[in-house]
This record gives sequence, structure tokens and C-alpha cells, in this order.
Amino acid sequence: MNQTVIKLIFLLFACAIGSDLQAQTGPTRGWDSVKIKGTKQEVYNVYDGKPYFTDGWCIGKVEFTNGEALDSLYLKYSSYKDEIIYFNEQIKTQIRIDKATVSAFSFKDKDGVIHSFQKYPFDNWAKADRYFEILSTDSPNLMCYRKVNLNEVSPYRDSTGKLKNMAYEQEYLYYFYFPDKGFSPVKPNKSNLLSHFDKESQKAIKKLLRRNRIDILDEFSFVAAWQTIKKQGFKVLF
Amino acid sequence: MIYRMKRKLTILLFLISNCVYLNAQQNLPTSVFSDRDVYVAGETMLVKAFTSTSGQSKVNYVDLLNLQGKRVSGAILEINNNQADGFLQLPDSLSTGTYVLRSYSKNTGDQLKAVKEVWIANRFVGLEKTKQIPRLAQINATEHENNDIKIENLPEKLGTNANNSLTVNLDQTFANSLDGDIAVSISLLDDQFRSGSTLWKSENSVLGNNSQQEGLVLSGTVVDKKNLQPAYGINVFFTIPDSIPGFQYYQTRSDGKFYFQLNNYSGTIQPFIQCFSSSPLQRLKITIDDSFISGEMRPATTMQPVTDSFKTSNSRNIDAITFQKIFEQRPFKIEQTTRGRTKEYPYYGNPNKTIDPHLFIDLPNFTEISRELLPGVKFRNYNNEPSLQVLNSAASGYFDDMPLTLIDGIPIRNLNLIKDMGTQDVKRIEICSIERFYGNLRFPGVVAIYTTKGDYSIFQDNDQFIHATVDAVQPKIKLTDWEQKDQNIPDLRQVLYWAPSLKPQDSIQVDFKTSSIVGKYCVSVWGRLKDGTLVCSKKQFEVK
Repeated sequence: MNQTVIKLIFLLFACAIGSDLQAQTGPTRGWDSVKIKGTKQEVYNVYDGKPYFTDGWCIGKVEFTNGEALDSLYLKYSSYKDEIIYFNEQIKTQIRIDKATVSAFSFKDKDGVIHSFQKYPFDNWAKADRYFEILSTDSPNLMCYRKVNLNEVSPYRDSTGKLKNMAYEQEYLYYFYFPDKGFSPVKPNKSNLLSHFDKESQKAIKKLLRRNRIDILDEFSFVAAWQTIKKQGFKVLF
Repeated sequence: MIYRMKRKLTILLFLISNCVYLNAQQNLPTSVFSDRDVYVAGETMLVKAFTSTSGQSKVNYVDLLNLQGKRVSGAILEINNNQADGFLQLPDSLSTGTYVLRSYSKNTGDQLKAVKEVWIANRFVGLEKTKQIPRLAQINATEHENNDIKIENLPEKLGTNANNSLTVNLDQTFANSLDGDIAVSISLLDDQFRSGSTLWKSENSVLGNNSQQEGLVLSGTVVDKKNLQPAYGINVFFTIPDSIPGFQYYQTRSDGKFYFQLNNYSGTIQPFIQCFSSSPLQRLKITIDDSFISGEMRPATTMQPVTDSFKTSNSRNIDAITFQKIFEQRPFKIEQTTRGRTKEYPYYGNPNKTIDPHLFIDLPNFTEISRELLPGVKFRNYNNEPSLQVLNSAASGYFDDMPLTLIDGIPIRNLNLIKDMGTQDVKRIEICSIERFYGNLRFPGVVAIYTTKGDYSIFQDNDQFIHATVDAVQPKIKLTDWEQKDQNIPDLRQVLYWAPSLKPQDSIQVDFKTSSIVGKYCVSVWGRLKDGTLVCSKKQFEVK
């Protein structure tokens, strides 16, 4: 009896392995998923500051303009060039994804914070598409253009002792985005945030922030302040 | 110990049996209907199929087999809400006889196919000497007459060439129990040859394990010509030349198979399929799988005596179709709906430079063109061994590898094809002087040549390069009523109404016009209930 049971179990195992082997034939997994178009990522010159938004690769998702999406990609956002770069594990290459094909992307940083970026046409003189990080949804969206510029600075010596006079400097720009009207710049401080409301609301908002003990000192408190204001239904002026 | 093992074994067996049961439960009956049961070669057969409800496949195959099991016509239809409709063009050359209309999906394990027998008469062969005709044996129709579908306001007798209307009334509860749309047809009836949809159990297993969940898939195999074994790690390219070439690639695994998605294409397409090995000495051979499954059936038949009335109606049908052919009457206009084009650019990227060589002085060959007109492109033909390199704009040096080279959108590796191209032969050259990537493919620069002829005559088929003709999903059709322009020419329509997808409502009004053909007609309404039961309702009337 005991042997019969063992034989049966072996038979079932053999069947399971057989079906697994059968599953290995047929199309490769993900063969029909979207193929990423891009160019090779060039190495940036090393200066003080960070050209990338995160220090390392983050696992994330890219949504494409054709409606398809790819998950579990190694992503890195270049704040300096406003480009999303992915690491192709198969060919071991860093590839800059063509901006024209991307509609949005998101990734989780090392602290577990999810950063969601969306591409919008930005109507400045250059009329180019830009990636904005969505800090708060619901109309109007609060968004941030995570820009890093390569600026001329006072001469300094880098870690290898080389004399340099350039550095990557953060110049994050914040906007309220109205789907029907466009972008309205906002600065992460109390006075500038208040200037986006009518005079009657400003008093009430000041009181609200005081009551909630929110002092706008950084991006985190700025977003918290905006979310508190939004909850009360105050209307932002464009 | 043994008790515990027995218990585990029982649970395992229970789970397996459950899986088998669920799998079986998913495949509810399929069925296929056509506008009529009797046709003449050269006509268009309108088809409606209720497909398997397993939802595994997005495409349904409909084909017509002769009694020897040979496929004579076929169409690939898109499945929407477990239903598909389209048409089959009956070849002019079909010989007179009984044929089998077959409908199936390539679901794994779905061995049941819906079949329906039809009679097709050749226009040049009458039935004068025929005494018996073959009929399929053991036909058990899958649809059930249902009293909840009521065909009303239809007189028993109607005049010729008259406008009429009838109402299809559905009971509210019954309408809610329907799975998807219903189909309505009004067509000429032949009492001697009537058939319904039935299920046929396939003896052969279904092709591969490709369930086509995302749409139609083209598959094939690459073998090594030396040992005829499946070739591993071979890049297979699929190109559809266009202003923006369609391109897909697949790297074969140990089974040598390749797969390409055709869900963005419709009608008949002519892709170029080629394969490349990393070893230049390896000789390969590509074969493409047949889209349809083989005509496996050799159904059992019985002989039925031919009546005089069948002979008469057969010759009348032949006359009607011959007349329609002569006067170019088309009972239905098939209009292809165009698909919206998306804003895209070639898979090889937006070019850095575009040059129109024919605008410059005459240059006899590509070496001269590259020297004079293509900055950053080095084409040399020393000792009849041409080479091509592109300047890497990011690194200020030439790429070591050969760039992706295309002629009219088709990738090539044999540079002898372009060496003799002069300015008169080339319409446009696009250059990408940067390292581009498409999925896992790396392109060390791109040189895309578009020829003035653009007829692909430069390419010759070989074992590694095929210019195939492949059926994609049938384009969506719009059926419009035939308009009689000249009153002196008789209206010889045999199908008065065909609506394969009508939303079920309490009351559906059907407007139709009778033709000049007198005889018995039948109004048919088909549908499928949510429990999988196929239902129909039929009502006859006479045109005098």
C-alpha cells in the first residue's frame, strides 16, 4: 500500500514536470510586449551635485503613448536631461527611452516612496514635452519639474584633485496644472502659495495652516499644506 | 503516516479533477450559421459564428472544406463578445457538390468545431444527369427552436419587389438571458437542402499551444539546413514595408519556433520574413505555419436522391448568379472600414539626416553617393567586398559594426544589393548617426534607403528570406442594401436581409425589400443564452 502511494505521488510529480516542460515550448514570456525604442545613454561628466533624481536604479513601470505598459524595469530619471533611462538586463545596456513614446512612468525609491511622473507638453518658448512629478492629484494637480542645471560655479577640486568650475544644481520648479488652462507656477513658500487664492480665502487658509500647525519649510510641508487647503475646498486662481 | 499521505493524495486528485471539470465547463458549444444553405460558385457567403466562451482566443477561423477534406476558402474573423461575423468568397472554380463550413478557434484543448453543410453549384455544370447527392450523416443541430423569440407582422405571402417590415419581439426576461447580440437573416429557402449547425469532434489536436489571446499570431520554424534540427538563438525579422515600416523580431528557442503578432493588420498582408544567425556559416531555412488547421475531416455521408424541384431551383440559382455577374450586380457592398493611424515614427528612430540624392548630380554607384552626399557614412567596395560604417555622433568616431541597413524598410545584410545603386535609383536616404535600440536589438547607426522603384524586385526569395502572403483578420465590413438603378433589370437578390449583430431589445423592427425571385423565404433569428444554449426562431413566407 505504502509503495503504491509513493508510486502514485511520483507519477503525479512526473505529470507536473511534464506539463511544465510542455509550457516551456511555445512563445517566450513577454515576446509580444511593447519593444522599447531608445538610444544609448551617454555618461555624464562628473561634477559636484547629482544629475539623476535617484542615486541608483529603481524598479518601476513605464506607460507608453500607444496605451501599453512595461513593468519591473530598472529605471533612473535624469533630472539634468529630463529623460528616463532604463537598464536592459538582456543586453546589459543603459538605454534612454525615446520621449515621444513615453506617456508616464513611476518607480519606488530606496525609501519605498513611489514617484509618479507624467509627460505634458510645456508651452514655454521651446514648446517641448517635459516630465513632471505628480505631487498631488485632483484638479488642479500640484506638479514638480525636477530640473537640475549644469551651472558655472566657483572653482573647486573634486575627489581626484581635478580643478573644476561646473556643478549640477537643483532648480525644482512647482506648478499647479489646470487641464483646461495649463500651468501656473507656484513656489514652495507660504506667501507664494497664498497668492494663488483670493484675499478672503487667504485669511481663512492662514488660519487653517496655523490650526493644523503646518509651517511651509520644504517640499514635504508644502505638499501637506496644499493637501490640507484642498480638503477645505478653496479655489485656486489661475 | 499512510493515512496522511492518502489524505494529501485525495486532496490532490480532487484539485486535478476540479481543474479538468472547470476546463470542460469553460468550453460552451460553438456554432456557425450562414445566410443560406444553397449557393452558386462565385457568390459571397455571409457567416455568423458563436464562438467558444472560454475567452482564450480573439480570433475565429471559418473555412469551407470539400468532402475530401480539402480547404477551398477561408477567413479569419475577429471575436467580439464571443461572436464573430464575416464573409467567405466562394471561388468561381468550385465544383458542384456538398461542402462543409467549419468554425473553430485555436484554443488549447478546444477540439470541438462547429460545422454546417452547404450546397454549392458550379455555374457551368447542371444537375441534369445527377440522381443522388451526398449529405453529411448524423447531423444533430445544436440550436434549439425557442418560443420566446417571436417573428411577427409577417404575412404568409408577399409580392415581388415590395418594401416590407416585420418585428422580432423578445420577451424581456429572455432578452436579459441572451449572451451578446442576436443575428437576423431573411433569405431564399430550398426545402430540398436544409442544414443547421452541429458540433464536430476533431480527431487531431489543435495547433501548438498558442491560444491567440491578444489576437492573430503568425508562427513558423527555423531549422538548420545541415541537420534539419530546430535552430536555437536565431533572430527572425518580420517586416511590412510602408512609409513607416512595420517591424517585429523574435529570437528562437530550442524548438526553433518564432511568433509574430498580426493584431494590427487586416486583410491580406505580404510581410518579408528573414532570419539571421550569429554564425555566418550556418545555413537556415524558414517555414511558416499554415494559419488554418488542416482539412482533417472526411465526414461520413449518405446519398440523397435529387428531386426535380431541386434541379429546377439549382438551375434557377445558376441563372440568377450568372445574370448578376453579367450585369455586375452585387447583392451586398462590402466596405472596408479604415483603421485610424497613430502618430508614429520608424522603429529605427527619427533620422538625423534625410538626403534626396536624385536632387543632386548624377552619381553612378553607392560609393560615390556616400562620398559626395552622405556625410558620416562610409561605404567602400574594395575587392568586391563592400563595407558600410556610420559615424557615431556621440563618440566622434565610426561604429565598428555594420549599421542597420534597410532597402525600402527591409533590413539587409548583403551590401552587394546597394553597391550599384546610383542617384537615379534612390529616392531618399535616412541616416541615424547614433546607437539606437529597439527592444533587445542594437543598431550601430542606421542607413535606410528608399528606392525610386519601391517594388522590392531587388529581393529574391531564398530559404532565409521569404516574401510571404498571409491572411490577417478579415477587415470589418459594412453591408449596405443593394440599390436598383434600372427598373428593367430584375432584382435577383436571394438574401433580403442580413444583420449578424443586433442588440437584443423587446422589439426589433426589420425593414426589407423583396426581390424579383419568387419562392419560399425564411426569416431566421439566432442567439445564444448565457448558459450556452443556442437558440433560434424561424418563420417562412412566400414571395409570389
